[in-house]
Amino acid sequence: MSSISTQIKHLLAIATYGLLFAASGSNAEDAGNLYNTRFDINAGLKYFERQCSRCHGFDAKGNDETGAPDLTGRLSRASSDVGIFNIIRTGVPGTAMLPVAADLPDSQVWQLVAYIGSLSTDPANIDLPGSVVAGSRLFANKGDCNSCHMIDGQGGRLGPDLSRVGERRNPEELLTDILDPHQEVAPRWWTMRVTDNEGVTREGLRMNEDSFSLRIMDAESNLWSYPKRQLASIERVEESTMPSYTQTLSDSEVDDLVAYLFSLRKEN
Amino acid sequence: MNRSIALLAPLFLGLGLTLPVLAQEDEFQTVITPAFSPVTWERLINAEDEPENWMMYSGTLDSQRYSRLDQIDKSNVAELEMKWSYQIPVIDRAETVPTVVDGIMFITEAPSNLTAVDARTGRVYWRYDHELPDDLRICCGRNNRGVAILGETLFMSTLDAHLVAIDARTGNVLWDTEVADYEAGYSKTAAPLIVKDKVVTGIAGGEFGIRGFIDAYDPATGELEWRTYAIPGPGEPGNDSWSGDSWKTGGAATWITGSYDPDLNLIYWGTGNPGPDWNGDVRLGDNLYSDSALALDGDTGEIAWHFQFTPHDVHDYDSIQVPILADIEYQGSTRKVMMWANRNAFFYTIDRATGEFLEGDAYASQTWAQGLDPNGRPIRVPGMAPTYEGILVSPPIVGATNWYSPGYSQQTGLFYVTSFDGEQEFFKRDEDYEEGERFTGGGGRYNQPMDAFHSSIRAINPATAQIEWEFPIMPRSSAGITTTAGGIVFTGSADGYFFALDAATGEELWHISLGARVHAAPMTYAVDGKQFVTIASGNVVYTFGLKDD
Repeated sequence: MSSISTQIKHLLAIATYGLLFAASGSNAEDAGNLYNTRFDINAGLKYFERQCSRCHGFDAKGNDETGAPDLTGRLSRASSDVGIFNIIRTGVPGTAMLPVAADLPDSQVWQLVAYIGSLSTDPANIDLPGSVVAGSRLFANKGDCNSCHMIDGQGGRLGPDLSRVGERRNPEELLTDILDPHQEVAPRWWTMRVTDNEGVTREGLRMNEDSFSLRIMDAESNLWSYPKRQLASIERVEESTMPSYTQTLSDSEVDDLVAYLFSLRKEN
Repeated sequence: MNRSIALLAPLFLGLGLTLPVLAQEDEFQTVITPAFSPVTWERLINAEDEPENWMMYSGTLDSQRYSRLDQIDKSNVAELEMKWSYQIPVIDRAETVPTVVDGIMFITEAPSNLTAVDARTGRVYWRYDHELPDDLRICCGRNNRGVAILGETLFMSTLDAHLVAIDARTGNVLWDTEVADYEAGYSKTAAPLIVKDKVVTGIAGGEFGIRGFIDAYDPATGELEWRTYAIPGPGEPGNDSWSGDSWKTGGAATWITGSYDPDLNLIYWGTGNPGPDWNGDVRLGDNLYSDSALALDGDTGEIAWHFQFTPHDVHDYDSIQVPILADIEYQGSTRKVMMWANRNAFFYTIDRATGEFLEGDAYASQTWAQGLDPNGRPIRVPGMAPTYEGILVSPPIVGATNWYSPGYSQQTGLFYVTSFDGEQEFFKRDEDYEEGERFTGGGGRYNQPMDAFHSSIRAINPATAQIEWEFPIMPRSSAGITTTAGGIVFTGSADGYFFALDAATGEELWHISLGARVHAAPMTYAVDGKQFVTIASGNVVYTFGLKDD
């Protein structure tokens, strides 16, 4: 699988540094971002680390505590470079997102926009080796992915809804998800094994846990809610419920599945 | 509040009687007495004798956050019910600790506003909206944590680094003093502290290359009485602990409220991180008095002694925690101590008369120090400074604890702290200082989701610095703690709970889901002989009490 990984990295680099936003015209709002060279992205990165990372994180993945959103995928408050520019320039009223200094030149704001743009992967700039159509068939048939995952309202409930997975996972991450699903399991998909004070044990996906309670969904999609004081033990099962497809799918089939999953986004 | 009841209450409490007796007698009164009477310095010194009032940020000058009220106790706390709620109109996170004087509650709000409400009902008397510039320089949100009161005047910090005096009866502004230039990165979020006839207050802005200080102002005029810099100037002892001119931009903000001992006439105040936070290459040396406890003369502000918790800090381990003062039994004698659970994951018991280190140990996960030497100075683990590539260190930037208030119970003799066992990758960056711009020299990144880390309320014995019990919570909390003579520890959590623990054992006694993060400390008070407990959650201030008969 190293071939696809290397290829994707190469393509990502090209997309990030070379092909973003071919600008024309003089009006910034119409032309998009004129400051989008590799130099600009690096300048934006430096500014981000200094001024923005305190809330958004050094990796720009956001922070639940500060309420700062993840900037590495689709942004909820802006759908274009101009939208991002305006948020940086004017802030978001009623939140901790303050405007940048009024005397900060527009060019530096655009560099910041370029850096934020570089954090997400534009599918138009990626030429993946796999087939979206073949991947779609694999998802429903040989891969049996839809027994656990839902897409556009169809499929199972035992894994994340993948209807827009292409917006939040790049091809490299999707590849890891398929081949090594145990490497990183989000807390929402941890498997919890609990035994109550009556000695009854149940296992299920961790819907939500807080200081005083735990809610899980078992394999039959039953929802259980426990006050922690009624539980004799709470244990996390470390492995993901998702199997690795290393032995199940060929390299080209994995490429197809990655291509399909990466194509899943709102506009599709 | 009926002042006659207020004055009698301590007497009855001293005799072991409780307020409900008074309440039953009072219920049949038909004469409504006016609320609020002036708060003298004598009242503030003896604040613990007026447990029906909460007259300063930490309740009393020793900052124990221990209330003698015991109407709500371990046997009935599970019967608490909501009495009223007050919705803060400006949406942001509330870190306020309300002040209550004779039936009136004063609530600070984001960004820099203040409201007076009837403490029985939550209904508003007046509001003060502070006008702020558009280009504030603040690092971590639009917060305000509380007021101080003296006479009939409230004193409030504002985000544009002003100190404002407000008439407690009307909300009118009496004076408005610029403490520092906000455009240079200075701001103010903490409640001031009244010391005798002065308003003592700190400054925020440690991420902007400021030079921290502690000020005292004339409460009548707003004129500066004295200023003590947290970073010594040229020719002063300690200035040589900064390489070159780095002292000029060395941070050491004083952004949380301190404490005061009337007998020793010493003010105790914590100082923040040296700047830039994560790049120590440009400020070689111990960087005094960053990350320190300062003991200041109560009249002049002169530094009597200092204790530096983290010399040459490169992990943003601010030491601005509220100092808790108590007299405890230590190795066979009664000692006047200051207790301090630090952001750097170590707990310290210090002689507050001299600054002598008595006890200390780690109370939370940490990887940066092998331990403390006999003087309380950390013995560093080599190679744990931030790097350009990133290095994993515990505790993370947010610390093992942070600004949120710890508590102490006179019943159990235990110190209580909200603690976090986390870790983070620390990065170093090269940055030039520019006035008004962030000056941090790096940052941090979590390698795991927050739910993978452990958080808890921990009870520590100050005589041994050892943990007596812990109550696990999740995820990391930034709620403060209040203890009562009812044997209770009240606190909250980031997952939106307000709850009560047995102060002796840590056993859960009661909890309620408020549905929004708790970033504030609870406080307790009484009106008409009925005890209430108040906490801010999300954008709402909730008040609870026992069921009416």
